[in-house]
Formats: sequence, C-alpha cells, structure tokens
Amino acid sequence: MDRRSFVRLLAAAPLAPALPEALPRLRVVTSYRAAAVPGMPGPYPGRVVAVKSERSVDTASNAANDDVVREMMARGLCALTGAKTAPEAWRRFFMPADVVGIKVNCGGHPYVVSSYEIVAEAVRQLMALGIPPAQIYVYERFQNQLDEVDYAPHLPEGVSIVAAETANRHAENRGYDPATYVEADLFGEEDTRSNMMRLVSRRLTKIINIPNVKDHGATGATGCLKNVAYGSFSNVARTHHRGRSHTYSFVGTLASVEPLRSRTVLQIMDGLRGVWHGGPFARTRRYVFYPKQIMFATDPVAIDRLLLDIVDDERKAHGAISIWDRSPEHLKVDDGAARDADPDVNIIIREPGHVEYAGKLGLGVADKARITVQDLEV
Amino acid sequence: MSLLLWLAALPCLYWTEGVEGAPSLKTAGIERLCVPPDQAEAWRKAGFSAVALGGADLAVREPLLVPGIRVRADRASATRSPWIDANGWRFLRDPAGAYAYDLPAGRAALAAAEAYVYGADAVLKVDPADLESLGRMTAFLSRLPASALPDVADLAVVDDGSGPLGEVLNLLVRRNLLVRVVKAPSPAFRINVQLGTKEYPLREAGEPSALALRIRRQLTDEQRALRIFGSEVVIGRLTGDAAHARLHLLNYGGRDVDGLRIRLRGAYPEGAAYVAGQGRRALEEQVVAEGATEFTLPTLTAYGVVDLSAVK
Repeated sequence: MDRRSFVRLLAAAPLAPALPEALPRLRVVTSYRAAAVPGMPGPYPGRVVAVKSERSVDTASNAANDDVVREMMARGLCALTGAKTAPEAWRRFFMPADVVGIKVNCGGHPYVVSSYEIVAEAVRQLMALGIPPAQIYVYERFQNQLDEVDYAPHLPEGVSIVAAETANRHAENRGYDPATYVEADLFGEEDTRSNMMRLVSRRLTKIINIPNVKDHGATGATGCLKNVAYGSFSNVARTHHRGRSHTYSFVGTLASVEPLRSRTVLQIMDGLRGVWHGGPFARTRRYVFYPKQIMFATDPVAIDRLLLDIVDDERKAHGAISIWDRSPEHLKVDDGAARDADPDVNIIIREPGHVEYAGKLGLGVADKARITVQDLEV
Repeated sequence: MSLLLWLAALPCLYWTEGVEGAPSLKTAGIERLCVPPDQAEAWRKAGFSAVALGGADLAVREPLLVPGIRVRADRASATRSPWIDANGWRFLRDPAGAYAYDLPAGRAALAAAEAYVYGADAVLKVDPADLESLGRMTAFLSRLPASALPDVADLAVVDDGSGPLGEVLNLLVRRNLLVRVVKAPSPAFRINVQLGTKEYPLREAGEPSALALRIRRQLTDEQRALRIFGSEVVIGRLTGDAAHARLHLLNYGGRDVDGLRIRLRGAYPEGAAYVAGQGRRALEEQVVAEGATEFTLPTLTAYGVVDLSAVK
C-alpha cells in the first residue's frame, strides 16, 4: 500500500474547567488531507439555528409529526444558509456526485433515537438534488442497534442501511480502515487502536450528522461530537473504565481525524425528544423529556455547547446533580442499576469539558459569548 | 517431517473406551491416542498410533487450565480486557514438562492447538462430543508446513521457581509480551525481570497485572516484536530468524475474530496464513514500513499460523 501518514501528537492540554488530572498521549494516523474548508466547523462557525415547534412531537405517543418536521427542517436550513428555498439550502452542501452518509444514533432505542421523519426528510432532499439512493448510506457502528430502530420502512428502496459490526463484541474489524486510526494506551489495554469505519474513509464524500439530545454517563452529554466520533471509530468503549473517563480529549480528537472532519458538513441535532439521565440509553420513559426542537449548524461544538445547558437545565428542573458534578459522594463506580434508579448517581466522572477541548482543536466555537443562536418557531 | 515425528508433535487424546469404538475415532480423524497399557496393542492393531498411559502416569502430569475466557468478578483488572485462561506460560516455563488437560465440551480443539503451539507434551481428556472438532484440528496441525524457527523474545524473565513469578509470567504472555525464561539475567536483553530485585520488588508480584503493565511500558509498545489489534483475546507466539518468521495465533474468545491486524517488528514483504477450518488465506493490506510489517488476517478461528518471509 502506497500511503503517506500524517502523524499528530496531541499531548498538550488546553486549560479548561474541571481538567482531568492527566491527558493521555493520542497518536493520530491518517493519510487523508483536510479539505480547504473542513466540514467541521464548516462555513458557519459559532452559528446555530434552533427551530422549535410545540406540534413537532406528541408526548403521549412519542410520535413525531412528519409535516411539521419537514417544515422545521426547511426553515432551519434556509435560515442557516441564507437560501430562499430548501433545495437551494441543501445544494449549498451537496451535489449529485456525492456519496452521502447519514450518521444516525440508535443507542437510545426505543424512545430517543434519530427520528425517522428527520432521516427520511434528509434522504428526500438529497434525492431531490439528484443523488441516487445507491449513493446514500444511513450508518451506525452496530447492526443490532440499526435493526432495533429499523429505518428501512421509512426510506426509499436502494438507500443502504449499514453498520461496521453486528454487535458490540470487539471481534469484527473488517468494517474499519486499518490505515486510519487513533492510537492510545488509556488503561493498559492491549488493543490500543481505534480505527475509522471504511465506509467513512473510503466511500463517503459527505456526512450528515443526526444526533439526539442526550445525557451521557461519561461525557456529561452526547451530541454532535460524540455521535460522529464514537459512531465512526472502533474500540471506543475502552475510554471509560472504573469511574474514570478519557473522553475529555478522545471525543474531539476522533472527530478531528481526516477525512471525518472534512466530510462531516451538516449537523442536525434532533431534539424532538431527549433523555436527561441514564443516557445514552433510554430504555424507560422515566428520564425522557421533550425539547421539541431541531438545531442546525455546521459547527458541532457550538451545538454541543448549547446541548450541555439543555441537559443540565433539565436535570436541575428535576433536582438532579449537575453533569459537571465530580464529587466522590455521588460516584458509584460501574453501578448501572444505582445510576438508573437515582439521578444523583454517577458511575463515571463525567467530562462535559470535552466540548471545550474540541473547540481548542479547531472543530468549532465553545465560548457561549461567541455563539449566535437564531431561534425560530414553527 | 516423518509420520512418526509429526504424530509425536501433536497432543495425545487420552481414551479409555474399548477398541470397539475405533470406527467413530477413525471417522473423526483421530489417529493418535494415549490408552491404558493393557489396551495399547489392540489399538495399534486397529491402526492407531497408541501410546500406553496408565492412570498413575496420567496423575503425575501437571494439570492444565481449560483454555478460554471467563468472567472473573473476584479479580480486579487494570483494563476492560476479559480474563483469559491460558497455559502458554506453563509450557514456556517448563518445556520438558508433562501435562494433562481435562476438558469440557467445546474446548478440545483450542487445547490441542495451544499444546501444539508450544510443542508441549500434553494429554487431552475430552468430551466425546468434541471428537470431530479435535480430529479436524489435529488434521489441520498435521498438515502445517514444517518449521523449526527459534522463539522471538523482547525480554527475559528469570525463573526463581516461585508461584508469584509464575503469575507474572502468565500475565506477560497474556499481554503478548514475548518472553524468554532464563535461569539468570541475560545480557542479550535490555529488560531482565527478576523478582526480589530493587527494580522488581517481590511485593509488586502481588499485583501481577499491574507489574506486567509496568514492564510493557518499560519496553514500550514501539519496541515490541508483536502487536495484535482488533481483539483482546488472541495470544500470539512468534518464532523467527533473519529470513523467516512464523506467528502462531490462538483465539481464546470462543468466536471467530475477523480483520485481525498484526504488526511485527522487521520487514516481511511475503506471507501467507493457514487458519484452522479455513485453510490457506492470503494476508490483506500488507504494509512494510519503518522497520515493521503490518497485515490483516481476514478471519481467525480458534487457531491460525502466519508464515512470513523477509525475501520477496
């Protein structure tokens, strides 16, 4: 194989609140160069359009309203791009030759996953631009999660729904690119590489990221950054272990690896539904809430900075400890049952500072004072 | 290799059933047996390579662990890696030892491969349900190209014969740290692990996993002759010289691993794999750069061997 490797060592830590005691040495290996304007943060750094609609989801049935969602998406993308029509807005990001991946999030099945309506509308708009269904991929890391959510009935024939592994067993590697990875010895694990999905590095030309509004036990909240990073690389569960998490630097580092960074051109935060505790899972409705909004950006850091507050505010509304809480008295290491039963229990020290760290890596704007939010109502 | 020699290199199935069961063993492809002395001649006449092994002889053999993985809630681990029960360290420590496996169903093939990899004199008591898989594995082992390359090692471990040293050795082998067991520190190695010294105090052996990790970091991953990516349940044994290398890969996980990525120190532009149950497989995405060779093994069943050549 003829390849050039660009190796970047990310050892220096930016100053941030709640800085973990030591950051691991992360070695990025990739042969891909950045685009002239990388998709993240893209042409609109620090800019977020938030479209809300009371009619977007029926909280009794948990079902979304397809027509309202389509209108929210059209309004949001037009506002973000300044385009007059939805097709014109989509054309700012995609052209008929593109091979487009839609990174969904299925981990919050059954209550909080990337909505069928949003995914279907994205596919519809891509096809309207002349992108054939054979060039559209809805993807996740694990096939069993995709199977549970089952997007197929909502999508046109010919759209591929693909995963890198059948399940999270750390035994299937052929879906990953052996030449594009981040190497790190985090807890003394033997397999020190996290490889990018082959689909991302070798097939796709553009990626749409559709995460959810979710609490997360290791990162504080999981949104754009973690969805596209941990959802496009292998062997990432190793970053949190026995109460400690290296997500602070790992999430942003993965997201910054080329070609993922350059190809992820559009962030659509599905906040129709959310989970404020116990995330990234939503196995019961106990912690589900309904922000009833969709956020649009090219900057994943800006959306995720807003996300931290959305999740934390909801937690405060329920009297739960903050996602920024690092106190030992709330930590019950690896006790998932206690965490599920009590929102004042952490099983890992959370690292919401991962969003600011990603900003320092150039992925977007984390400083709220520099983030412009345009609120729209449908 | 002559028929007798390769038969002797294979682990021996311990079998106490009468010779009337010979057809089922033949059907399974079993050719080598260890049988009670009074049955040995009958088995030989039935066409088997039969070694007489009495109950007392079996009892003095060192019992081995059932190879595989298991959940060890009683053991704290520094990593998320599963607990592997493996016997390679015992074979390295006492290559001339006599060993015995007592295996539940489903483990015979892996045990046979494990004993073969280390050239151990091992007897296998197996569940009859495993005869077929054992026969397939021994047939595969018998067809492998002959190789007599010396072990590759990155560090030496001075064997004091103690239990704690054994556990350290176990953890080193499980981490794919290639060791040579020596009786005294060897100047051939930068790292000589000798318990009870200032550098490796005996108290550290109480946390063998942590000690093994410290030794790994002393060595550094960059300096290791063998790295395995894509699984935490595969253990390798590397042999080689300036021109050739043979890498044995034992998969303790109980399910196939696909796309296993291997990195070896040294330049090996040519290579092929032989995988139990699959036969000869081409290596994929082979790269030789910066003094190392990387390749992907498409699938690893319980056992596979990779032969590499430094000359194209």
